This record gives sequence, C-alpha cells and structure tokens, in this order.
Amino acid sequence: MTKVVPSSDKLVSKSNYKYVGKNCTRIDAREIVTGTATFLDDYAVNVKDALYCGVLKSPVPHADIVRIDTAAAKALPGVRAVLTYEDINQEWGMGEPAMKPILGKRVHYAGDAVALVAADTEEIAKEAVELIEVEYQEYDAVYDPQEAKKDGAVQLYPWRDDIPNNICPGGSWGMQPDGRWFHLVRGDIDKGFEECEYIVEDFVEFDQKPTPLPPESPGVIVKWEHDEEYTVYGTSQSCFIMTIQNETVIPGFKVHAKAFNVGGSYGSKNALVMPCQYCARLSKATNGRPVRWLQSKTEHFVSHETRLGSQIHAKMGCDKDGIIRAVQGVWDIDCGDFCSTTQGQVSVGLGECQLFCGQAEHWDLMTNCVVTNKNSAGVVRGYGGQELNACLSLLMIRIIRASGADPVQALKKNFIHGGQKYIWRDGRYWNCDPSINYDRAIEAAAEKFRWSERWKGWNVPSYVSEDGRYRRSVGVSICGNADVGESWTEGFVHILPRITEPTADIVLQMDITESGMGQRSNVLKQVAEILNVPYERIRITEPDNMFNGTNTGLCGSRGTITCGRAAVKAAQDAARQLIEIAAPRLHAEPDMCVLENYGVKNTARPDQWIPWNQLVPQFCTLTGFGRHIECFSTPSCVASFVEVEVDTETGLVKVLDILSGSNPGQIIDPATLEMQFHGGIGSASLDTALFEESIVDPATGKLLSCNMIDYKWRPFNEFPHYGLSVVEDPINSYHFKAVGIGENTGACTASACMMAICNAIGADISRYPATPDVILKALGKVGKEDAKA
Amino acid sequence: MELNQITFTLNGVERSLSVGELYGQLKPNETLIQTLRERFGLTGAKLSCNEGACGCCTVLVDGAAVPSCSILTADVDGKSVTTIEGLLDEKGNLDPLQQAFIDHYAFQCGYCTPGIIMAAKALLLKNPHPTREEIGEALAGNYCRCISQYHVFDAIEAVAQEGGAQA
Repeated sequence: MTKVVPSSDKLVSKSNYKYVGKNCTRIDAREIVTGTATFLDDYAVNVKDALYCGVLKSPVPHADIVRIDTAAAKALPGVRAVLTYEDINQEWGMGEPAMKPILGKRVHYAGDAVALVAADTEEIAKEAVELIEVEYQEYDAVYDPQEAKKDGAVQLYPWRDDIPNNICPGGSWGMQPDGRWFHLVRGDIDKGFEECEYIVEDFVEFDQKPTPLPPESPGVIVKWEHDEEYTVYGTSQSCFIMTIQNETVIPGFKVHAKAFNVGGSYGSKNALVMPCQYCARLSKATNGRPVRWLQSKTEHFVSHETRLGSQIHAKMGCDKDGIIRAVQGVWDIDCGDFCSTTQGQVSVGLGECQLFCGQAEHWDLMTNCVVTNKNSAGVVRGYGGQELNACLSLLMIRIIRASGADPVQALKKNFIHGGQKYIWRDGRYWNCDPSINYDRAIEAAAEKFRWSERWKGWNVPSYVSEDGRYRRSVGVSICGNADVGESWTEGFVHILPRITEPTADIVLQMDITESGMGQRSNVLKQVAEILNVPYERIRITEPDNMFNGTNTGLCGSRGTITCGRAAVKAAQDAARQLIEIAAPRLHAEPDMCVLENYGVKNTARPDQWIPWNQLVPQFCTLTGFGRHIECFSTPSCVASFVEVEVDTETGLVKVLDILSGSNPGQIIDPATLEMQFHGGIGSASLDTALFEESIVDPATGKLLSCNMIDYKWRPFNEFPHYGLSVVEDPINSYHFKAVGIGENTGACTASACMMAICNAIGADISRYPATPDVILKALGKVGKEDAKA
Repeated sequence: MELNQITFTLNGVERSLSVGELYGQLKPNETLIQTLRERFGLTGAKLSCNEGACGCCTVLVDGAAVPSCSILTADVDGKSVTTIEGLLDEKGNLDPLQQAFIDHYAFQCGYCTPGIIMAAKALLLKNPHPTREEIGEALAGNYCRCISQYHVFDAIEAVAQEGGAQA
C-alpha cells in the first residue's frame, strides 16, 4: 500500500489588522504546555471532602427490577448513601419529552443505571456497588429502529401513549416558537418528481453510533446548597446548556454551573444531565457533601451519549444537469434508550439538507425519533447535519452520476446561494444573505486539489496497481450550516484604569469555556482591535453561568459570529462612552476622536490626548455592553475532497489525501482555523466512513467496543496529507465579516470518503462504515453470510 | 524481595515513600499516576484511558516514555521520573520542546498535550533528528481527538532541526 506522510498546508490572511488575521499566542498556551492548565480532574484532586459516586449498571438490555436489596451496601463502612428508583420521584424525567426517570424501575440498555452509591473513596464505592443484589424481569430487546417501529415490537415505554411504536414526539419545544417542526414539506412533491430527468431511491444507513470520544471523560462535582439548588463543576463546554438541560428535569431545580479547561468535547460534553442528576441526588442525600463522578473511560463508552444513528429511505430526483429538484423520504433516527435533545438535531439536519440541496423546491421528508435498547444518542459535532448528510449525499452522488455531470460542478450548483430561502431549525423560512456565494471557494478548492486531473470519471479509478489489487479514486462532498448565528449572546467589556500609570486593565466578561477552539483568545483579539490596546492586556472571566451574560457556548460553530459580535459591540460601546466623555475636553467632535495608548486622541490635533484614567472616576469602572441576536441567514460552507486507496484483497482503505475548502470570511486566527479544518478528521467524522463504530453484541446487548483498544481511532502515524484552500471574501455577518466553519469540517468528509471508495471499486455501498467486510461484500468476494447484514 | 521503602528521583528531587497499607503509605498496587497526581500534586499527566492506550499520562522513567497509569510506583524504585512539570529549568524557562509547541500552535484542548510532549521528549533524547515518519511512529500511542497532529509534527520537527532536545 502507498505510504503517507502527515503534513498540512498553512493559511495566511490578507488582513491589515494588528491582531485579527494574525497568529497570536493563546492566552492559556503556557499553562497547556507546562501541564498547569486546570481541568476538572485537576481541580478535583484538591476537593478533599468530596464523596465518590458509584453506579450499579444493568447487565441486561431490557428489564424491570423486581427486587433490589441494598442492605449490605449501606452497611459497608464508608458508604454515605445508596439510592435506587424507590428513592427517586418518578415524575422527574430526563429527555424530550421527559421520559426517563433519573433512576427507574425499568432498565433500557446494558449499562443503564440501577443504583447509586456515595462513599468516602472510589474503592469503597465500587465495593458497595457490587454488594447490591438485584433481580430482573427481562424483556426482549430491540436494537434497530426499523424493527423497533414495527407493529408488535417490544415497547420501551409501554406506559406512554405519546411514544407509540417506540417513536417519540417530533419537533423541539425549545427551538421552535411557532410549534413543533419535524416534517419538511415544501412545494409539490409529485409535481417535482414529474419534472425530474433522473430519480434514485435507496435505503442508506449511518447507524453505528460512533462516539466523539474526547480524551477527558465526562465528569461533574455537584454540591447541594439548599432546596433544589446546586453548584456544579463540570467538564461541560457550555455552562449555559448544562444549566438549562438540568433545570428542566426537576421543578425548581437551580444550577450554578462552573467549568474549567475542557479536555475535548466536540459537542458531546454539554448538558451532562445524567452525571449531574446522579450526583445531585447523592449530594442532597448526604446533606451537601460534594459528590464527584469522573467517569472511567469504559463508563464513558458505555454510558455517555454517542452520535445519532441515522437511517433513511429516500427518493431523490434531479434535472439533466444534476440539480436536485425533489426529495422524498423517511429519516429514522436511533436515539438509543431515550430521546435527549434529538429533535433539535433532527431539525438542524432538515435545515442543512436544504443548503446542500439548495435548489430543490419540492420536499417531503418525514422524521422519526426512535428509541432502542442501546445507550442514548446525543449532541456531537455535526449536530444532526452530519448524520443526514452522510446518508443523503450518497444518493445525491448516485443521481449526479446518472446525469453524467461532473460532481464538483453539480454539488456547487446545488448549494444554496444568496437570496434563496430555506426552512431552518426554528421551523421558519430564512433568506440566505445576499453576500453568500461559495462558488469561488469551491472552485478554488477543486483547483488546488487538482480535481479535473485526478477525477477520471464515474466508476473509473484514478489508479490501478499492475496486479489490479490496489485501486484509487477521489470523492467530494459539500455541506453547510446556518446555526453559526444561533442563540442570543451577551458580553461586557470593563475598563479599569490604573491609578499609578496611564494604562488600564481590561476585562471581557463573557461565558466562554475553552475546549480547544481558542475562542477565549480569539474574542480578545477582536476587543483589542476595537480598543486599540495590546491583546495580551485583556483578560476574560472564567466560565460560569451565573456571573456572566448569556451564551449558549461554542456549539454549531456559533462562537465566531455570536461571541465576536457581542464582544465587539461591548468594546464599541465602551469606546463610544470614552469618546463621548473626552470629546468636549478635547474640543473635538466625537467622530474626530480615536482611542490610542489607553487614552483618547483628537485626530485634528494629535498633541491633544487624554488618558482613560482621567475620563473614568477614580477607582471606578467603565463598562460597555454588547449583544448578539439570533439570526440564521448566513450559512457557512465547507467542501471536502478525499483520495483513497482500496486494497481489493483485504478490503482495507487508506486515505491518501484530504483537502478542505471554504470561505470563512475574514480569518480571525489562521492557526486556529487550520486546526478547525484538521478537527474534521477527529470527533467521529472522517473515520465514520472507514472504521469507527460502536459494536453491540446482539445476543447480550452489551457494548463490545468499550475501551480505547477495541474502539478504533486514527493514530499519529496514519494521518494523510491535509490540503487547505481558503478564500477570504468578506461575509455580511458582523463587524469582522467572519463565519465559523468547525461544525462543517468533518460533516462532509465521511460522505466524500464513501464516494471515493465506491468510485474506486465501481460498486455502491449503502451503509457506514465501509469496513473490510462491507467492501469485500460489495466486491462480491464474500457472501452475505460472511459479512455484516 | 519485600519493599519497605522506595526511593526515586522526581523531577530532579529525591523522594522516598514507605510501602504498606497504613494511611499515608504507598500501597503496593498504587500506580505512578496516582502517586504523581494525588501525593505530589503533579497534575500535568492526565488519567484518561487507564490502560496504557491513550498516552495522556506519559512521563519519562529513566528517559523512556512510559504510560504512568500502567506502571506501579513501587517499580520506579531507584529510577528517575520526569513529568511535564519537570521540563522547566530552574528559572522557570520552558524546554525548547514546550516553546516549540507554543510557537507552532501544537494543541487545541491541551488535555493530551503533556503526554505528547513527554513522548516527543523521549524520542528526541534517543533520536535527536527524527524523520517525520519516525515522529509518527513514536507518537502512535498518543491519542489526540481535536487533531493537533499536524502542528505537533511541525513543532517536533522544528526542535529536531535545531539540534534536538537536551538531556
């Protein structure tokens, strides 16, 4: 096989700014490389009075608890509390709608929580868990949404009329102000297909529920304060989401959420509802002792949320040029044991498919959120969009193939353009901002990848080894995301003039957790530009939901626009106030004044300058405020190109080359942007096309891939060359004309990879991942009985 | 041989621990990462997979990269242990490798970074001028899911080109 040596292109911005567009050392860089950056488990080392949470997990996938005896566990010295479903109000529920008790009489997957222990040490907690005796009444289990929704299938929630055939109510209560939206209907679907030149129909599966697998496992330390109020220290990338998701479980539940550096999240460590609720009950039961549950990696695999399972039976039609005109189908989503925030993800998926099929006017796409006897699915980078893109893009490519069009040209033409409309996750129509046109970015990326040279045609490999064993081809996919402007965000810029020198300390008060994107540093660069001060002199408050303004967190690539806009507006507000105070003293109009060297200068008479410490009352603070208001009109776009080599003897696939292209608008930080692209390899993205999957034993329901040896991931010595192509055309988003793209960078690499594999072997594959057995089956080298069904 | 006490060098300082089951004693089954984090407050090495698969807990034992979750503290008796905190010089200056990681933006969340730096340090001590392929092989046991890999290669290569790490 061909050897690959990891390397990547570098980005350079055209920026004329001092900091924006330039690489700046991250504010936490020294702490990171010296090991002194604080993560939750580092903080926990010094919480000496914390109790350890132990969780007894169900060994069976579907059962009622008919007897549970905790006497021996409670009698063990060092055990402070033992809780079962009998101690928990069964009216309290997790999920949307509230369906799963914090501890229930019924267990829904192998690994589901049966009982909780709080003990003085981890060892005692483990020992106590093993002393709990449980008798189960077992039921059949169902793992496949297609089976789960059939009449007569075993029901996970038989007592719930609103979950018939294991299908949860569609639509998101929190996201859709005009009513629940889960069925995309536009135009006249029958008429649409009548007008189509080509039609394809198939069932595609992206349903192996891979895990984003951040290196730091999910964890919390919870302390009961009074009534139902708690302080929570979490590994959450969003204090806001941890707060609102937990506060909906129990009436009156109030969270003061705090976070530290977060050891990766990729969307998966936001809400932390189960660990938070477990530890909250235990903390209250022990009269306010802090209770910690820093999950082991196996607990992380077994109990924490995975990607959504995605299955779609769809029909798609296009015109003679490969432009998609009509899409009809049913999208079934495997939620696992309960529906967490799945409906929101589904609505984003429905929105995103209207971006990459942006010219389609006729839609009838129904969705079903189906519960099964597997661990629950949850939020992961891609947020529903990747899961749907992976499936629909395969059909899209097949129909473009039927039309004979060049895939890059066809995908480019299909993508949404300025002035066109789509229904976004809120169920409302949005018009794509007129400044949006990604044609140039897509063309530049294709040119840099040398697409026209490397693409040899449909089902024609770009290379075949002399013995015919190795076959190469290229693939492409494009996706977009309008969530980049989601949710309101607030920021405050405080200017604290120094007394003894004519400078100032500047603090940005904004609730941003650092989970790897560098956003805490990047917003400071933007404030520095506005206030014309050194970037290094600005500080940012710690992540905390109570002592900062609102901020949903860095979800959906929203941090660039939303945090950027709020921070810039706050800095502009502070600047305006300073100038308004200074202008009369400088005998100048405000528009003739600028900020310079911690003071205000009259540009008409540059010798006239007043330091800020003479403009703000002594020992006082001047504060500017800024707010971003939710807006879904500036979708981002990423095009991914992949070259693979398939070993037709073994079915192994090697990725030889990747190139991602985009127009992110103004580059805020080139190095950070490079790494946002690179991140599209990780967090269960690219390799969901190749080998990442959660493997459940159908006989026992137990997860077999529950450690970092059995779960496959890409090591350092298997990284391909990564090409980058960025055009930097301004986008009408906010002051610095930028959009975030991290959500997209991985979302379409899986489908690009699958296209390349199919084109290399000349056969279609309809399920992810394309593991060797799947490929050999597609090649006809193994029979159905030898490969996965 | 039954151990009553072990002595080892930790970041240049000799440390002794008595071995036993009493409160405060080093338990025979205590892993090195537990000792580092909980006894010495050296939290740079991270406990992630706890089975030697991810490299987040990597430290140097007599100059070799070792997953500290998979070695007993009792087994470092007589040896020299260096953690990420021990790479700073006496004045608090960064090791060239640490500086290169800053200069090349070779981290994202940073949770895996101390382990990666220590694995790279071990490589450079043994092979001051590794090729990119050799760097990849040496770090194959280090997990990074944010994908800092490309920048990590650049950082280590830069140090290697400037003469390699100093012992």
